Amino acid sequence: MAHISAGDTAFILVSAALVLLMTPALGLFYGGMVRNKNVLGTIMHSLIMIAIISFEWIYIGYSMSFGPDVSGFVGDLSWFGLKGVGTAPSDTYATTIPHLLFMIYQCMFAVITPALITGAFAERMKFGPFVIFSLVWAILVYNPVCHWIWGSGGWLGAKGVLDFAGGLVVHLTSGAAALAAALVIGPRQGFKKRSFMPHNLPMTLLGTGLLWFGWFGFNGGSALAANGVAVTAFIATHLAGMAAMASWCFMEKIRQGNATTLGAASGAIAGLATVTPAAGFISANSAIIIGLIAGVICYLAVSMKERLGYDDSLDVVGIHGLGGFAGTLMLGIFASKAVNPGGADGLLAGNPGFFFTQLFGVAVVLVYAFVVSFVLLKVVDAMFGLRVSPEDEVMGLDLSQHSETAYNL
Amino acid sequence: MNTGDTSFMLVATALVMFMTPGLALFYGGLVRNKNVLSTIMHSICCLGLISFIWLAYGYSLAFGPDLGGFIGNLDWIGLKGVGLDPGPYSDTIPDLLFCAFQLMFAIITPALISGAYAERMKFTAFLLFTVLWSTFVYMPVCHWVWGQGGWLGKLGALDFAGGTVIHINSACAALVAALMLGKRKGWGQEAFHPHNLPMTVLGAGILWFGWFGFNAGSALSAGKIATLAFFTTQIATGCALMSWVVAEWIIQGKPTTLGAASGAVAGLVAITPAAGFVGPVSATIIGLVAGALCYSAILLKGRLGYDDALDVVAVHGVGGLWGALATGLFASVAWNPDGANGLFFGNPLQFLIQAIGAGAAIVYSLTISFVILKLVDMTVGLRVERDDEIQGLDITQHSEIGYNI
Repeated sequence: MAHISAGDTAFILVSAALVLLMTPALGLFYGGMVRNKNVLGTIMHSLIMIAIISFEWIYIGYSMSFGPDVSGFVGDLSWFGLKGVGTAPSDTYATTIPHLLFMIYQCMFAVITPALITGAFAERMKFGPFVIFSLVWAILVYNPVCHWIWGSGGWLGAKGVLDFAGGLVVHLTSGAAALAAALVIGPRQGFKKRSFMPHNLPMTLLGTGLLWFGWFGFNGGSALAANGVAVTAFIATHLAGMAAMASWCFMEKIRQGNATTLGAASGAIAGLATVTPAAGFISANSAIIIGLIAGVICYLAVSMKERLGYDDSLDVVGIHGLGGFAGTLMLGIFASKAVNPGGADGLLAGNPGFFFTQLFGVAVVLVYAFVVSFVLLKVVDAMFGLRVSPEDEVMGLDLSQHSETAYNL
Repeated sequence: MNTGDTSFMLVATALVMFMTPGLALFYGGLVRNKNVLSTIMHSICCLGLISFIWLAYGYSLAFGPDLGGFIGNLDWIGLKGVGLDPGPYSDTIPDLLFCAFQLMFAIITPALISGAYAERMKFTAFLLFTVLWSTFVYMPVCHWVWGQGGWLGKLGALDFAGGTVIHINSACAALVAALMLGKRKGWGQEAFHPHNLPMTVLGAGILWFGWFGFNAGSALSAGKIATLAFFTTQIATGCALMSWVVAEWIIQGKPTTLGAASGAVAGLVAITPAAGFVGPVSATIIGLVAGALCYSAILLKGRLGYDDALDVVAVHGVGGLWGALATGLFASVAWNPDGANGLFFGNPLQFLIQAIGAGAAIVYSLTISFVILKLVDMTVGLRVERDDEIQGLDITQHSEIGYNI
């Protein structure tokens, strides 16, 4: 039996807790951006995922994602209900920590991914159909894509596609699903006619701070050991977050006249999302460049949204979708074996082949996640209806879906 | 000394410390806006008060050399002899770190009680009560279960991270406090709506996060048992959240964020005594039962007619009791060889021991809490004046207001 390292175990225990915190943090980040009649509905979208996906994950999700491979596409169900997954280390994944710890660490990623999508359909989705959609989405989209890239025997991983902490698995899948959701469910009442002002920006900024804090567990912890790679990822995460925050604010300043706190928050998240696939494979300087680019392109994507005419309410597509997309490709450019011998050399290190491998991975995941999400949303819509009634939408989700009001000040 | 274990326990200690401000926000969002600061103050002040008591004599009473199984003696007063080498309670981390970790538990326990008397207790009464309760209830019960030579520990009672010591103990005090203080003005006539639910959700998120330090850290090392406790904490909490929300969806027609937050805390409470002793399927069941059970307890409260303002009894009492008993049902040495087998694994005696442990804590905490509250009532008086209650505790007790929006 492999040897358990107390240092590695300590680090991943803490990292798993940090990633758990990101989901309520996301609830606050999103919750602050909606109107005050929808804040609880929005928070609930994130919160309930912790319950539903944790349950799904231990019974089938973990086995589908990381269990024994079935022709590169998905894990089989031989680990159903965590059969055989105990406190001894796995001989495949993270061999210096208990297998159960690797499992619960991965659980936190599975939890936050469908929660990310909810920003796209905020303020107008029915609660019951939302729960059904998210559960089935986790099974049909998250688990297979996770297996392709991170599962032992997964076909994209076998082709050499790299994704350090979830640019493809987490951000691109949720971004593609968000685009499908915004298109299927349609814009909010009043979209383009009036502006929807965030009702509580300090709450959004608190959420941003907690997300940034948690992201160190998300990216640093993805090294699965307390070692040099974890430090590389930790540093890249911080630098890309700060660089994107700076460049987003700079773009706002020159195009709109004032840098905003909402821009600082969005920029930070854009940088953190973009560096996610690359974090453990790149140098500090590359991380800064990736961050600077992320802030600019995500800002442009978000400001183009209205012209494109879909109502991705809280900019999941422009931030997470584009961030995951661009970050995975930029990894193809900036990856360096000098930084992480377990990674690959990218374009700048003289290996254009790896860039095309990444491009292939991005294309496959984008198409799969978008198509399956789109079909799934259409099916759920036909069966239960996705959207609340116009009266309920005017009243707000807090009262119509949950019989609560957020503030009695 | 092991650097891996030490780094884990340093972070776990910080996580448990963070739970007390988390609790403050959780409770703070639930009260009316005229009482938000006073409610937060009840938790925050424990960080100061109890830290001092712990250093002065609390740690010695709880963990010092045993006196008849009932309490520690005063040999370690002022932390005399508690140093940076591994101590009697842990082989791989500094003695002082164990002491700091346990301090965070001692802090949050009296803070939990404050939910019962929210919106009507005098601040001076709160201070006096907290000091006395911590000294005469928390320290002894902690010693019984976790101190070397403590009688419940010797009996074989299992309490991984504080189901009996923390949750049952504080909930019994909460029940007595709710009964002795009486109902808030307007109870039964007007509805007391939470003034800021996003704040409550934030508090619940912080509590959940910190609880990983609370439960996994109780393994006192970064290894298999910490992993098991971490995992069962997540799964039981998720399941309790789900079962609470489903129950209210069926019974009251809508799933609420307040229900989700409360369900999560109920699950965290219930798994606390069991965390390092049970496997995944058992954790699932413990969580599913906890959510529905604690939700039913809240429905029942309205009928019983005492005003436990923020449901300490229903969530921490009922949840803690269920968890303590469930440990006696589901514990399995296949998962933790240092634990025991429960009823479902062929050892009915363990269930009996768990019941004795819970029963002893209930009787002791109810009685002594009653005596302490009587004493406080006779000296400084428990409850604020009627006019002060109408004006709110923030302005009358602290000369502040929560919001200038």
